[in-house]
Amino acid sequence: MRMENTSKYGKNADTAENMPPPQRSCELQAEIICALNEKFPGVSIEAELDGRGILTLNGECAEWVRVVEIGHFAAKLDGVKNVVNRLGVKGVRLPKRDYAPLADRGREIGVTEETDVLIIGAGISGCGIARELSKYKLDILVAEAGEDVATDATKANNGNIHPGHAVKPGTLKAELNIKGNRMYTRWAEELGFKLQRCGSMGAVTDESLVPALEKAYAVAKLNGVDGAEIIGRERAYELEPTLKARGVEVVAALWLPTMGLVEPYKVAVALAENAAQNGARFLFNRTVADILKENGRVKGAVTDKGIIKAEYVINCAGVYADEISEMAGDACYTIHPRKGVIAILDKNRRPEFNGLVDVYTPENVRSRKTDENTKGGAMSRTPEGNILMGPSASEIPDKDDRAATPDGLEYSMSKGAEYGISYADIIRFFSGNRPADYKEDFVIGMSEITDGFINVGAIQSPGLTSAPAIAEKVGEILAQAAKKNGRPLALDPDYNPIRKRESEFRTLSREERDALIKRDKRYGRIVCRCESVTEGEIADALRSPLPPTSIDAVKRRTRAGMGRCQGGFCQPRIVEIMAGELGKKRTEINLRGEGTNVLIESNRV
Amino acid sequence: MKTEFTDIAVIGGGPAGLAAALEAKRAGVKRVVVLERDVELGGILRQCIHDGFGIHRFKKRMSGNEYAQAFIDETEKSDIKAYADTTALELTADRKIYACNSRDGMLEIRAGAVIMTTGCRERTASQALIYGERPAGALTAGAVQRYINIDGYLPGKRAVVLGSGDIGLIMARRMTLEGIEVEGVYEVMSSPGGLTRNIVQCLDDYGIPLHLSATVTKIEGRDRVRAVTVAKTDGSRRPIAGTERVVECDLLVLAVGLIPENELLIKAGAEIDPRTKGAVLNDRFETSLSGIFAAGNAAAVFDLVDYVSVSGEIAARGAVEFLRENTSDKNTENASGGADGYVPVIAGENINFVIPQRVRKGAARDLAFFMRVKTSAPRAELRCLCDGAVAEKKVCRYIAPPEMLSMTPCCAAEREIKIDAVNE
Repeated sequence: MRMENTSKYGKNADTAENMPPPQRSCELQAEIICALNEKFPGVSIEAELDGRGILTLNGECAEWVRVVEIGHFAAKLDGVKNVVNRLGVKGVRLPKRDYAPLADRGREIGVTEETDVLIIGAGISGCGIARELSKYKLDILVAEAGEDVATDATKANNGNIHPGHAVKPGTLKAELNIKGNRMYTRWAEELGFKLQRCGSMGAVTDESLVPALEKAYAVAKLNGVDGAEIIGRERAYELEPTLKARGVEVVAALWLPTMGLVEPYKVAVALAENAAQNGARFLFNRTVADILKENGRVKGAVTDKGIIKAEYVINCAGVYADEISEMAGDACYTIHPRKGVIAILDKNRRPEFNGLVDVYTPENVRSRKTDENTKGGAMSRTPEGNILMGPSASEIPDKDDRAATPDGLEYSMSKGAEYGISYADIIRFFSGNRPADYKEDFVIGMSEITDGFINVGAIQSPGLTSAPAIAEKVGEILAQAAKKNGRPLALDPDYNPIRKRESEFRTLSREERDALIKRDKRYGRIVCRCESVTEGEIADALRSPLPPTSIDAVKRRTRAGMGRCQGGFCQPRIVEIMAGELGKKRTEINLRGEGTNVLIESNRV
Repeated sequence: MKTEFTDIAVIGGGPAGLAAALEAKRAGVKRVVVLERDVELGGILRQCIHDGFGIHRFKKRMSGNEYAQAFIDETEKSDIKAYADTTALELTADRKIYACNSRDGMLEIRAGAVIMTTGCRERTASQALIYGERPAGALTAGAVQRYINIDGYLPGKRAVVLGSGDIGLIMARRMTLEGIEVEGVYEVMSSPGGLTRNIVQCLDDYGIPLHLSATVTKIEGRDRVRAVTVAKTDGSRRPIAGTERVVECDLLVLAVGLIPENELLIKAGAEIDPRTKGAVLNDRFETSLSGIFAAGNAAAVFDLVDYVSVSGEIAARGAVEFLRENTSDKNTENASGGADGYVPVIAGENINFVIPQRVRKGAARDLAFFMRVKTSAPRAELRCLCDGAVAEKKVCRYIAPPEMLSMTPCCAAEREIKIDAVNE
């Protein structure tokens, strides 16, 4: 069965034909204000719609959840392409970054770099784009506020490579999710990171749930998910024998064989290393504080450590992307951070299924939250075999608030109760903030206001999955722009898409391990006992094309400190090795960037 | 890959492992190998420069280093083969050990019997359910101890200690002596977790406040710990809303419990006791895997190192017995001959856990049990009942959950052995 693409989803909301002509704008604005007043009586909202369909909201609400609710409601109204939500909360000063002092400092320093392309942010999008563009003869510079790649939303992601069945058809998300999922196989091969195509299954235990399953299947087919099928009990038991063993009375199931698992930070590291090998430069601990523009064209960026002149600026700034876009004179969306808490379980708690499995019973379907905008994740796992619980999903006003909360953890852990998973299985929990906009779709494109400024914003789930397709799309946008500007991009004949895979002691056979130690004795010294990471691997990481400068950065590359003791035993050793390799004092070694030094001073004379 | 044959392989060269290796030597075992992952023998005692060790065994107060050194000296005098800087990576049920080090590469060690003395690890901030950010400055007590005592660095200037077990108390004093201001020690329970002598010598003597029924609920600070939120706790150890207080500090020291390290045993398929988190042991401290023994903090977390060494010696005598059975072709199935071959050891109402957890049928000899009580009492009678009849009893003055108790009854039970402490 194949459903024809004739629904209202068929048209892409981003295309020009959907944009209201200016004369309609006033009428539309009036309609929008009417709709808002009707839906939210008692809240004073000012709304202004521009010719592009960008709706700017001003006013005041009683609480943050209402601000978000109004934003979501407004984004669904006819003629609204996206929402800039400036609604405040009565009596509360919403946190807002003050970039002025940073920009002043940077201007004082003056121009420190010149480049063809400046990418702001070294998360999965920024790293993917840097690598994609490194195939051209281009100077590429990546400015990242953190001390390493993948220090924010990317590292807090659960690493699911989604099949693309859960995204709304017709959206940019749907298109790039499907493409990205397919492209991951090649990425994994070229870049040498682990990708497990474990598949995912949504099984229902009651006839009453079959229509919902069929609907999900129809969406999957509509989106173009490869290999999606509705399967019966026997096939479900064959794919996931645990279902049978647990006595789950499967009536039917949606089987999605393309579901994959990666470690998101490893993907970002691999991309960045390959980009660096191909000439891209990375500047860490650099906060972009202003965007330079002249006669409607971007000219570069002011960072806290100097000015970077650039012909093109690509905004991959995660939760801060809306602020960067506004700096470029193009306030066209608002990021409302959605916090998620994830718990990592001890490897001794083994995953029960071959892939990711969700069992829907009439009872649990009733009890689960149905708000599509605040959907959290369920039980998952890493390619290394740790079960992941969550993430939760809660709207928060402060982008810098990454504090793990009791409620968030409780939500994430609640899905493990039926498998006997308890808090005692947790080795670590943490949280991160999804960069969601009010349209709940990606914002990717050349700015209509500031030429040469490309937005890659609101990249939340399925952003990791879509990353290869996002990189490709941005490459096309840039190529088009370059052509239009009379300087078409030229391929770099020296481009090498293959990244050397580092030796991973824990995954080798005994004989391979023996040979490795004979080659370099440092592979014979286990530093992280929980994950069997050797001194040799840590030294390798410290000498890689993009050397880690913090303990967490070493952890993301090698797994040292990621096990059940969480660095209790190995952190002092890692500090020692880092100090030795980097020629630094131990007091200079930090956990994750400036101001996070582990040791304060020596106590010896 | 180098292959080595040995009679007994001991994994872990701390106080349990060295005591086991030496006891095996004393019993006449020819080839004994010890694997230690740190660069020197001694285990965690290397960083324990405080005193209070060895009171039972050596009848004097020693530092952890001195205590360990006594065993290291004796080991060096013997022909025990000690591999330092060597990590055991894998253990098989048929007693093969795969290990690695820089000199030999990968090693395969085939042992007649194996004794697992792998110690324990510390619980972390996440495991103690501390919410908030994850900045620099939240460390486990053991890591702080290593930084200060071995590496020679201070990880902060003003500390809050969570957990009043001995490790927390010792570190509160140690940090004070090193010039770190210790704001206080917080304990989730209504009574201290450590020995009374440590409360006096580590806190009272230095004027460090102890806050009982209080815990740290949240870490403040994005880059470095800026403060912690502390709250009072109720009877079930949960924070009481409205009692929160913010305490400024740049270091949170977590002394929130120890977990036996048994990853090799778990992977090899040994049965684990959910209470002790150590292997289920029989009367000779043999695990459910025939010929593989466990002792020390890997078997159950002890309070005194003296008992840790005793447990190592019990396991060593068991291993020696196992070797003799094996060479004399006797049936070895009694070690793992299924539930039928055992008499279960049952923890009574006021007993949190007992090791060993079972006794081989017909093992009519002096038995040794170690146990912890659930509640404290000024005076209690410790009883061992064999098939319902009191086999041994002893009166203990002041019993408390932090303190490990022991008894050595001589009995031969058919159905069950029950250990209980009856408060008087």
